[in-house]
Amino acid sequence: MEDTRTAPPVLTARAAGLIGCTQCGRVQEPGAERCVRCQSLLRSRDEASLQKVWAWLFAGLVVYVPANVYPMLRTSSLGKTSDSTILGGVVDLIHHGSIGIALIVFFASIMIPVGKFLAIGYLALSIRRQVSLSDHRRHVLYEVVEFVGRWSMIDVFVVAILATLVQLDFAASIKPGIAAVSFALSVAFTMISAQSFDPRLIWDASEGDPA
Amino acid sequence: MSAPRPADMDMSPAKKSIWRNLSFVWLVPIAALAVTLFIAWQSWAARGSLIEIRFTNAAGITAEETVVRYRDVSVGLVEKVSFAPDMESVVVSARIDQNVAANLPPDAKFWVVRPEVSARGISGLSTVLSGVYIEASFDPSPGAEAWSFDGVDKAPLVAAGVEGTRLMIRAADGSSLSPGSPIFYRGIEVGRIETPRLLDSGEGVVVEGFVEAPHDRRINSATRFWDTSGFSVTLGAGGLDLSVDSLASLVTGGIAFDTVFSGGSMIDDDQVFDLFESEKAARESVFSDVIDNAVKLTVEFDESVSGLSAGSPVQYRGLRVGVVSAIGAFIEDTPDGQKVKLRATVSIDPQSLGLEKDVRPAETLAFLSDAVKGGLRAQLAAKSIFTNTLVIDLVDVEDAPPATLGIFNGEFPVLPSIESNLPDVSATAEGLLQRVNDLPVEEVMDQAISLMASIEAVAAAEGTRSAPDALLGLIEDARGLIGSDDTKAIPGELRDTVAELRSTIAGLTQVTEDLQTADAVGQLVAALNAAETAAEDFSGLSAELSEAGAEVPALIDDLRALTTKANSLEVEQLVSSAASFLEGADRLIDSDDTRALPAALTGALQEAQAALAQLRAGGLVENANATLASASDAARAVATAVESLPALSGRLEALVRQAEGTLAGYGNESSFNRETVAALREVREAAAAVSKLARAIERSPNSLLFGR
Repeated sequence: MEDTRTAPPVLTARAAGLIGCTQCGRVQEPGAERCVRCQSLLRSRDEASLQKVWAWLFAGLVVYVPANVYPMLRTSSLGKTSDSTILGGVVDLIHHGSIGIALIVFFASIMIPVGKFLAIGYLALSIRRQVSLSDHRRHVLYEVVEFVGRWSMIDVFVVAILATLVQLDFAASIKPGIAAVSFALSVAFTMISAQSFDPRLIWDASEGDPA
Repeated sequence: MSAPRPADMDMSPAKKSIWRNLSFVWLVPIAALAVTLFIAWQSWAARGSLIEIRFTNAAGITAEETVVRYRDVSVGLVEKVSFAPDMESVVVSARIDQNVAANLPPDAKFWVVRPEVSARGISGLSTVLSGVYIEASFDPSPGAEAWSFDGVDKAPLVAAGVEGTRLMIRAADGSSLSPGSPIFYRGIEVGRIETPRLLDSGEGVVVEGFVEAPHDRRINSATRFWDTSGFSVTLGAGGLDLSVDSLASLVTGGIAFDTVFSGGSMIDDDQVFDLFESEKAARESVFSDVIDNAVKLTVEFDESVSGLSAGSPVQYRGLRVGVVSAIGAFIEDTPDGQKVKLRATVSIDPQSLGLEKDVRPAETLAFLSDAVKGGLRAQLAAKSIFTNTLVIDLVDVEDAPPATLGIFNGEFPVLPSIESNLPDVSATAEGLLQRVNDLPVEEVMDQAISLMASIEAVAAAEGTRSAPDALLGLIEDARGLIGSDDTKAIPGELRDTVAELRSTIAGLTQVTEDLQTADAVGQLVAALNAAETAAEDFSGLSAELSEAGAEVPALIDDLRALTTKANSLEVEQLVSSAASFLEGADRLIDSDDTRALPAALTGALQEAQAALAQLRAGGLVENANATLASASDAARAVATAVESLPALSGRLEALVRQAEGTLAGYGNESSFNRETVAALREVREAAAAVSKLARAIERSPNSLLFGR
């Protein structure tokens, strides 16, 4: 595969004045304001894309703080109530010897969200700045982020299922804590943030044609 | 196919300012930030405050696990369990919800709820699985915010905020009072009691009870409490009477109350009720007729009032004048620290004191005040020897230290009291028995036995057997002595002597009277003068005078013979007594001339015998002669009698000596002998007395005359 950097410039649709409809995918004639097929507004690039990315990323970061500080689960067992945060739960699991589960929880609840924050931030920054990672790799990174994002919700699903099933009154009961909501929001916000990212910007930058 | 030509550049306008370019999407992180911060602030603000509760031990309390509950709602969590600096207690630090902490008064009670199984049931069972928790009870008082508390060992009797009345109940023992036992009013449970605790003096128990509103309105000074626990069986004329209260009270005990007479007054805060053993006793304790127009006084006692109860009588000289209406305790600050005094409130019936029925209380008080100044004091007294039931006696104390009826504002006047002299029956009896025990009974018995043995030995001895005979002889002798003619004659002779002496006196009196009436002295003087004149005149008649002088010596001889005879009587003392008697007679005559009479008479007799004879005044001389002769007879008779007296005493003496000699053989130590000897000594003393009498008569016979 030839190096993209050294590859001769290709004529892009944008360079050709063509605009693809983001809704139905029909290629429009240059100068068209609206899609001839679905009448949606046509824009070559979303100028606010980066703003949206940053905004949602910040929102996701903000709600990620309480998600880690506040308890995720409130477990009542035989009159004893215990609160457990995400990290506390991981530590508890390690104490109980379930290192595998602890690793899964740690990976799904800590590593993935944090990695997403970093990746999205990196991608957003890379649009305006020169970075060492090639455009292609950045695109792969973007695809990975978008794919993995939904799996972070595994924690929220576990909490939701436990809170629904384990309602044995006095013997045991589990209630979701504030962190569960925060964590779900954080995951949702980062997913929106990733969706807001227009990967075409990656290529635009390499063509020296800033949006 | 031509190469696609570049499209016409659609140049965008100059870059808009960053603010105009700002997307609305930024509202999302701002909103998220705001919400997060709000949640953070809210959770920090509602974090609760830390309070400290001190317990003696922290059994079952775990940090971060044990919760604090109020009305069974979790309001906090124990954060830390540590020791107090002095290691005397455990300090439990708990974080309490803010809204609860803001209402915590300093007297909030905290206790650890543990599983408990008692006769009343099982409580705190949930803590078996969940572990203990700390229960709080308080009366919410907004803004209090106390943060340091002393935990209590057990759940308080009453949850805070429950309306009702707390009471103190005094009982003889606490065996039937278990903590939490119910208080019944007509069979309905209206309250509970706490754990009984011993009085400081150890003479009973007190238990605090709580009667819930509105039933506490039933309690006033006419209320009596009694023990309903257990059952009673009475076998009497009416048959078998079995009385069983509720099964619960049978197991746990219980007390009941009722208002046993009308007209009770509000109870004081420090009122102490007595617990009677049965309803019957409680009802009988009441002074049945409630006093009209009663005057209330308080009496303070330092000593124990055990045995005194509400309803005990107040007596004055045995008359019931009032009743103890309440007994309470109060604390008095003294230099030696705080001291608990017991105070009885008594109701005095003015009518019993003799006042009018409708007298005003002030007048009754004035009357009592005067009585107190006069020494009226209250004193505890035992109702009877065998029980420790007490009454209050009003006594008049003579030398009481001055005191007055203490009248203070807002309280009943204080009647001064004095210490009682309650007999401690048991102590006295014990002392008596101790003294009996200390008696040397066995030694006495030993001595008695040995005495008996010696008496037996003495009685068995030969000498003792002959003793009665000797005594008989002695008595016979004594009887003979007393019955002898000589002895019998003594009184007669004495009587004769007295009679003769009396006649002598009569004679002398006659003489003196004759002398008096005849103006004998004057006549004698005149006679002497006349004799002198006659002698001078008849100097020539010397022959005749010589003749007369020849006759005078004869007369002198006669007189001398008389004197000799008198001398021979050897009763000089009698004579001197006679002389003193004569002197007495002289004093009777009370005349110097008369006193000179004997000398003058003698002289006259000597010198003028003849002349007198010649002058035929011989009658006078004859009279004098006769007088002297009778006096001599009397003296002689006395002498005879007196002579026999020493003989009598001598015989008595000899008799005694003989008896003594007889008895001396019986051994000196025998008390029988001693008594016999003593008897004999008395006899001898009698004899000595007789001889003394004899000597006294010898010495002064005139004592017989004058009864001296």
